[in-house]
Amino acid sequence: MEPRDPAAAGDFRELDGNDSLIRWMMSLSPAERLQVLQGFVDSIGEFVRDQSTAIQRRP
Amino acid sequence: MTSPPRFKDALEVFARHHVDLIVVGGVAAVIGGAPLATFDLDVVHARNSANLDRLRNALDELDARYRDPAGRLLRPDASGLAGTGHHLLQTRCGPVDVLGAIGRGRTYEDLLSDSAAIDLDGLTIRVLGLAALIQTKEEAGRDKDRAVLELLRQALRGSARLERP
Repeated sequence: MEPRDPAAAGDFRELDGNDSLIRWMMSLSPAERLQVLQGFVDSIGEFVRDQSTAIQRRP
Repeated sequence: MTSPPRFKDALEVFARHHVDLIVVGGVAAVIGGAPLATFDLDVVHARNSANLDRLRNALDELDARYRDPAGRLLRPDASGLAGTGHHLLQTRCGPVDVLGAIGRGRTYEDLLSDSAAIDLDGLTIRVLGLAALIQTKEEAGRDKDRAVLELLRQALRGSARLERP
């Protein structure tokens, strides 16, 4: 029996974290992908705001 | 204080003004399925006079000004936008880079056949495909472009596998 060709079987070549993320991203619609990015950007903004508030409150 | 990015809101303003443009850069990569982060919206615009008028109106509505380290209030003008240069702007919807050409001088017309009209829940925008995005980043050859190339290539392979019957 020939060894299974991962490419022919439709598997991803590399099996690292990026692949899982890419698979998940590809399962989303383009609008949902943009929402993911917007959510990430918003969460960074909230984190930065929280950090600056915490720094201002320090005695 | 700079406004945080609101990608879809910015794209809606361009669409309302019927600006002919192609979304490139990180936002195009994400829409194509690449899991990366970006804080600015990059667009390549058509540089004919009618579109430059529409672009100016959209940028006015977005309160666009150059991201000037000296803090001066500099607005983009028609003659500048008519060239192939890069206009790094801050808007009320976050940073927007308006690009006359990318890679080895590729203009809106050069990129058109490598882009597709994408529906974002009722908002249709033209987005550069992953393969062309990779090509333009290879051509640009800057460190920040090289840093994301492998991830873009992986995403392109991933999308090709999903599209295979």
